[in-house]
Amino acid sequence: MFDDLSLVFNYTLFRATLRASTPILYATLTCILTQQADILNVGVEGIMLCGAFTAVAVSYFSGSWLLALLAAVAVGTVIAAVMALAHLRYKADIFVVGMAVNMLALALTRFLLQKVLGTSGSFYDRAIVPLPRIHLALLDGNEVLRSLFNDYSLFEPLGILLVFFLSWLLYRTVWGLRLRSVGLNPLAAETAGIPVFRRKFEVMLYSGVVGGMAGAYLSLGYSRLFAENMTNGRGFMGVAAMFFGGGDPIRSWIGCLIFGFTDSIGSRLQSLGLPPQFILMIPYVATISILALAMGRKMAAQRRARSALK
Amino acid sequence: MSQPIVVMEAIVKDFPNVRAVDGGRFDLRAGEVHSLIGENGAGKSTMMKTLYGLYAPEEGRIVVRGRSFEALTPAGAISLGIGMVHQEFMLVRELTVLENIILGFEPRKSGGRIDFAEAEGRVRRFIDDYGLHIQLHKKVNAISVGEAQRVEIIKALYRGAEILILDEPTAVLTPQEASRLFEILKTLTASGKSVVFITHKLREVMALSDRVTVMRQGRHVATVDVSATSIPDLARLMVGRDVFLGVSRADGGAAGDVVLSVEDVFVPSDKELSKLRGVSFELRRGEILGLAGIDGNGQSELVEAIAGLRPVEGGRIRLGQGEIQNRSPLEVRAAGLAHIPEDRNARGLNRAMSIEENLAGMAFRRAPLSRGPLLVVGALRRFARRLIETFDIRPARPEAPAAHLSGGNAQKVVVAREVDEEAQVLLAAQPTRGVDVGSIENIRRELVRARDRGTAILLVSADLEEILSLSDRIAVMYEGQITGLLDAEGADEESLGLLMTGGALP
Ligand SMILES: Nc1ncnc2c1ncn2[C@@H]1O[C@H](COP(=O)(O)OP(=O)(O)OP(=O)(O)O)[C@@H](O)[C@H]1O
Ligand SMILES: [Mg+2]
Repeated sequence: MFDDLSLVFNYTLFRATLRASTPILYATLTCILTQQADILNVGVEGIMLCGAFTAVAVSYFSGSWLLALLAAVAVGTVIAAVMALAHLRYKADIFVVGMAVNMLALALTRFLLQKVLGTSGSFYDRAIVPLPRIHLALLDGNEVLRSLFNDYSLFEPLGILLVFFLSWLLYRTVWGLRLRSVGLNPLAAETAGIPVFRRKFEVMLYSGVVGGMAGAYLSLGYSRLFAENMTNGRGFMGVAAMFFGGGDPIRSWIGCLIFGFTDSIGSRLQSLGLPPQFILMIPYVATISILALAMGRKMAAQRRARSALK
Repeated sequence: MSQPIVVMEAIVKDFPNVRAVDGGRFDLRAGEVHSLIGENGAGKSTMMKTLYGLYAPEEGRIVVRGRSFEALTPAGAISLGIGMVHQEFMLVRELTVLENIILGFEPRKSGGRIDFAEAEGRVRRFIDDYGLHIQLHKKVNAISVGEAQRVEIIKALYRGAEILILDEPTAVLTPQEASRLFEILKTLTASGKSVVFITHKLREVMALSDRVTVMRQGRHVATVDVSATSIPDLARLMVGRDVFLGVSRADGGAAGDVVLSVEDVFVPSDKELSKLRGVSFELRRGEILGLAGIDGNGQSELVEAIAGLRPVEGGRIRLGQGEIQNRSPLEVRAAGLAHIPEDRNARGLNRAMSIEENLAGMAFRRAPLSRGPLLVVGALRRFARRLIETFDIRPARPEAPAAHLSGGNAQKVVVAREVDEEAQVLLAAQPTRGVDVGSIENIRRELVRARDRGTAILLVSADLEEILSLSDRIAVMYEGQITGLLDAEGADEESLGLLMTGGALP
C-alpha cells in the first residue's frame, strides 16, 4: 500500500492540481468581482454551464475556438445583465435570482443539447476545436520538465495572470478603490459622488464576461465535450473559495488550489481501491476543515490581542 | 452685509407618508457660521441633505453663487464647493483614513493607478494648515469618534469645500474634543469658508454662530442674529412653548440596598485604553450613579460587560442575589436589568421593524402583550400608543417603520422601552445623545422618576452637565479604571475634568 503512495504523490501532481483548480479559479474570479460590490453571485454555476454549452456548440459548428470563446462570453454577459437588472433595478434578492439562473441553466442546456446537437447526456465530436495549448519545443527533451511546464491550455496560465491583475486592479487603481467603497459602504461612496448603481451594474457585466470564460475553459480547455451538469458544483466551490479568501484574489486562489489538490489526490486514490464514496467527500471535507482551521486561528489571535489580563 | 452665497427657497421634500420639509428656507453668507436648530424630526438633516444633493426636493429652488438649481447631485454639490459632515459618519470602516479622504477624487498616475504619495502630500497640507491631527494610515475602525470627525472635515476640505455643513457634530464629542472643533471652525471661517452648524446645544449656538435659523415641523420659523437673541428665546422658537432648561436635581431619598455590585472586573477590548483592569463599585436601590470620562476609557466596555454583551475575564458582577458575568443578555435582563445602549442603530433598534414592535421588544414576552405563543394585537397597539404619547415620539404612528425615524426620535423609542421595563437596574448609556432640548427635559425627567420608584441607574454620559445635574454619586473612569468616586454635592466640572484626564484631586 505504501509503495503505491508514490503513484499518488509525485511531480505530476503539480500539473494535475493546476488543471483541476482552473475551472474553480475562473468561478472564483467571477464572484470576487461582484462580491467587492457586495453582490453575492451564486449564479456563477449557471453562467458557467451556459458558457460551456455555447462554447462547444459554436466551436462544433464554426470550427473556431475564438468564435466559441466570444460566444460564451457574450452569453455570460447577457445572463449577468439580466441578473443585474432583476437585482439592482427591480430589487429582487440576488440569492434567489442566482439560484433561478442555476436551475434554468441546467434545464435549458439539457433541452438545447437535444434540439441543437441532437443528443442527450453528453456530446463529443472530433469537429469540436479546443482552446489552443502552449507548446514549447524546448522542453520536449526532458520528461519531468515537459510534464511540469509544457502544453498548458491557454487559459491555465491566463487564469493565474488574471489573479494578479485583479489584485492590482482592486488595491492599486482608482477603479478598485471606488469599487471596494461601493461594496463596503454604498452611502459613503454615494456622498463621494460615485454612481453606485452604475458601478454595481458594470461589475456584474464584467463578472458575466469572466463567467463565460469559465464555461468556455471547462468545455474546451479542461475537457473537449459538453455533458449535462458538467459544472458539477464547481461554481459553488468557486463561491466557497471566494469566502475562504475573504474576497481577496490571491487568497481565494489559494483556496482554489486546495480544491484542485484534493480533487487530484482523490482521483488517484480511487485507483488504489479506496471506496469512491469517501474519495468524493475529500474536497468538501477539506474545505470545511480548512475554513474551520483558519477561523479558529484567527479568533484565538484576536482573543489574545484583546485580553485585559496581561 | 455680504451677498448670500447660498439661498434655499420654498423647499418641499416628501418621504412616504411624511412631508419632512414644507416650505423650508435658508441662506448662507460668506465667512459666517450659521446654525440650524429645531426639534427632532424638524427636518434639519433633510434640508441640508437637499443642499448636498442627496435628496431632490419636490418643490423649491436652490441658488448657489448666483446659479439656480431645481435639484443637485452629490457630485454637483461637491463641484460647487459644498461639503457635508453627516450626522452618521460616511466613512468606509475597512479602508484607511487616507483612502477615505481621497475617495472619488484620487490623484492618478498612469494606468489608472492611485498616486498615494501625491495624495498624502495634499492631505498633509490641510492637516498642517488647520491643525487637524489625524493618523492617515490607520483603518477607520481603529480610530476614535473625534478623530473620525476630523477625517470627515478634512475629506470635505480636500474636495474643495468652501461651504461646510456639519450635522450635529458635537453630539458624539467629549467637551475637550468639542472645544477643539470650535477652534478648527474659527480657523476655517477666518480663511473665508462658511459653515452650517446643526445642533441641539443652544450654548454652542450662542458661542459659535453669527446667525441662527429655527425650524419646526418642516417649516422655517425664524432666522435671527445671535447678538439679538438668547437661549430661552431660541428654545421657545424651537418648541413653540416655554422650556425649562436646567433640570432640577431633586435628590432621591436615602439610597437603599446594594442591587448591583461589580467586583474587580477585567474585560477585554480592541483598544488598549479601553480594557477594564480591576473595576469595582456598588450601585444602590434608588440612586443614580453617574459615570464620567472621556470617550474610550472603558465606559462602553463596562456597560457591555454588565449587560452580557462582552465577556468578563476576571472578577464578579452581582445583580440582586445572583452572579451575572458571562451570562447571555436575555438571562441578565431576566435577572432584572434594562439597558439603553449607546449605539441606537446597531443595538437599540431593529430598523427593519415598526415603532410598535421596537417598543414592545421586551414587554412582548409577557402578558398582557402575549398569551402563550400568541401576540395580543390590541394590547400591543395600546401599549405602543401609551409610550408614544408619554415620550412624545414622532411620527405618532405605531406602525411606522423605525428606519424612517429621525435621530432623536429613534433615541426616544429606545429610552421609552427600557425605562418602561421598571427593572431593578437600568444602564443608561448616552441617553440624550442627539436629542432636542424639549425631549432631553422629558427623558431626564423619566430617569429621575424611575429612580424615585426605586430603580438603580448607572448613567454614562459624555455630557458633564448631564452627569452633574442627574447623579447622586459620580464615578470617573480613566484608562479602564475608576479613578474617583465622589458625592454629587462636592463635584463640579473642574474636579471631574481633572480626574477624567488622569489627574488626582488635591
Ligand atoms: N429616508 C427617510 N425616509 C422616510 N422618512 C424620513 C427619512 N429621513 C427622514 N425622514 C422623516 O423626515 C422627518 C425629518 O427628518 P430629519 O432627519 O430631517 O430630522 P432632523 O431635524 O434632522 O431631526 P434630528 O434632530 O432628530 O436628527 C422626520 O419625520 C423623519 O422621520
Ligand atoms: Mg438630523
